[in-house]
Amino acid sequence: MTATIAVQSAARNDGGLIPNVSEGPALLAGITQGPGLVSHRDRLGPAPRPRAEALVEMARDVDLRGRGGAGFPFAIKLAAAARRRAVVVVNASEGEPASHKDATLMTCAPHVVLDGAAAVAHALGTREVHIVVPSELPSLRLIVEKALRERAKAGERLKVELHDAQPWFVAGQAQAVLQLLAGRENLPVTAWKPEAVSGHRGRPTLLSNAETFAHLGHLARVGSAGYAAHGTAAEPGTTLLTLRGDGWDPEVREVAFGTPLADVLSNAEMGQPLLLGGYHGTWLRSSQLSGLAVSRKDIAAAGASIGAGVLLPLADGWCPLVRTAALVDYLAGQSAGRCGPCRNGLPAMAEALRDLVHRGGPAGRVEELCGLVTRRGACAHPDGTARLVASMLTRFPDEVDSHALGICRGNRREVFA
Amino acid sequence: MSEHLLRVDWPACKAHGVCAELLPEVISLDEWGYPIVHEPVKGDVLLLAKTAVKACPTLALRLTEPPPRPA
Ligand code: SF4
Ligand code: SF4
Repeated sequence: MTATIAVQSAARNDGGLIPNVSEGPALLAGITQGPGLVSHRDRLGPAPRPRAEALVEMARDVDLRGRGGAGFPFAIKLAAAARRRAVVVVNASEGEPASHKDATLMTCAPHVVLDGAAAVAHALGTREVHIVVPSELPSLRLIVEKALRERAKAGERLKVELHDAQPWFVAGQAQAVLQLLAGRENLPVTAWKPEAVSGHRGRPTLLSNAETFAHLGHLARVGSAGYAAHGTAAEPGTTLLTLRGDGWDPEVREVAFGTPLADVLSNAEMGQPLLLGGYHGTWLRSSQLSGLAVSRKDIAAAGASIGAGVLLPLADGWCPLVRTAALVDYLAGQSAGRCGPCRNGLPAMAEALRDLVHRGGPAGRVEELCGLVTRRGACAHPDGTARLVASMLTRFPDEVDSHALGICRGNRREVFA
Repeated sequence: MSEHLLRVDWPACKAHGVCAELLPEVISLDEWGYPIVHEPVKGDVLLLAKTAVKACPTLALRLTEPPPRPA
């Protein structure tokens, strides 16, 4: 039976988006029984306690990747952090406004995430766990606190500290999270070393999002073979997706790797351009979608990346150029304003894009600015923004040409020049 | 002599442009006055790069070993 629950408790303060969530094959199995520890333990038994080498090996076996967007092989991170006095950091705050999977998972199945964090802490021989929650969802913090009290009562001896992330886009970048933990402003700084080597207070730090820890807990519990019960031989397991995360009818769903995109999106959505990977993601044309599966490899072959699992089909009647320009306006406003090329380049890019989209301005200036901001900031915000814009230029050359002539081919058939 | 990367600490860089004056071979300035590092430094240029690192008024430049994996 697939039950659908509205995640009322994770309702955003702005009264906007309450994603629907359905029971899933692995992480979201059993969510209809509620988020409590008793039903969780009845269903699954105690949290597993593998040793570090075993956990690294399992993560390598199933090619587990971090689920925050970059898709870094987790076994490498884990092995790097498996040294003296490591720190575990679970990030449950999504800076991306179109992503709700970590908040939803933390709300519906907090113990699935916390089992993973406990397993990793045990494997690394540490008790120190930090959990970052979004300050704009105060109810999420209450849920996590309650779950932690349940675990402490059941005898778990972890030293957990909660931190409230700021509601801006770049707050979830690894270095920004480390700043928050250190009591400084929740903004990125330049990283000279990866955090797995030198992170919180210079100690090796295993930092990832809530979903990654949930996968680790599940993997530790069922082993590589059990984990591979879902997914394909090349890509075992499942992944969380946020569908239409900033639009009508947002939804969080857990699907096995290899699931056809056509099973996830409606027929109408399959006929629309898709922004895949969120606001830092990549556009795909509708003609590229048929035959495509939820698969890192397929999606990479199509020239995109699944990122943190955000799928934004273009709403009917919209023009992808108009939508991109609006997103870049937003993203430019989210520059933390600390790095010159980002502070100057993103507003300039937003302006050049407005010029292209609404006044038939040149695409060359937009391309030039993409080059000028890439790899020139303390965080990947300018890179992600440039990626979005570059994909708009490559996927929609006809639309770019028609805008140059003053014609927008959205359903509204706006003629502006 | 080995190759080094010249990296900019972007939040620290205040577009003074001293680096581009000292190292025109590898650094030019963008339209807002911030450095564009064109290539890794080695040989004679490495010595100049070390001077630039010391001369940057906000200490925003660092020389690092290239990462072990190909970029
Ligand atoms: S690159 Fe942009 S968003 Fe990132 S820290 Fe620098 S100014 Fe802030
Ligand atoms: S000298 Fe320093 S502050 Fe000036 S542009 Fe170069 S790196 Fe930036």
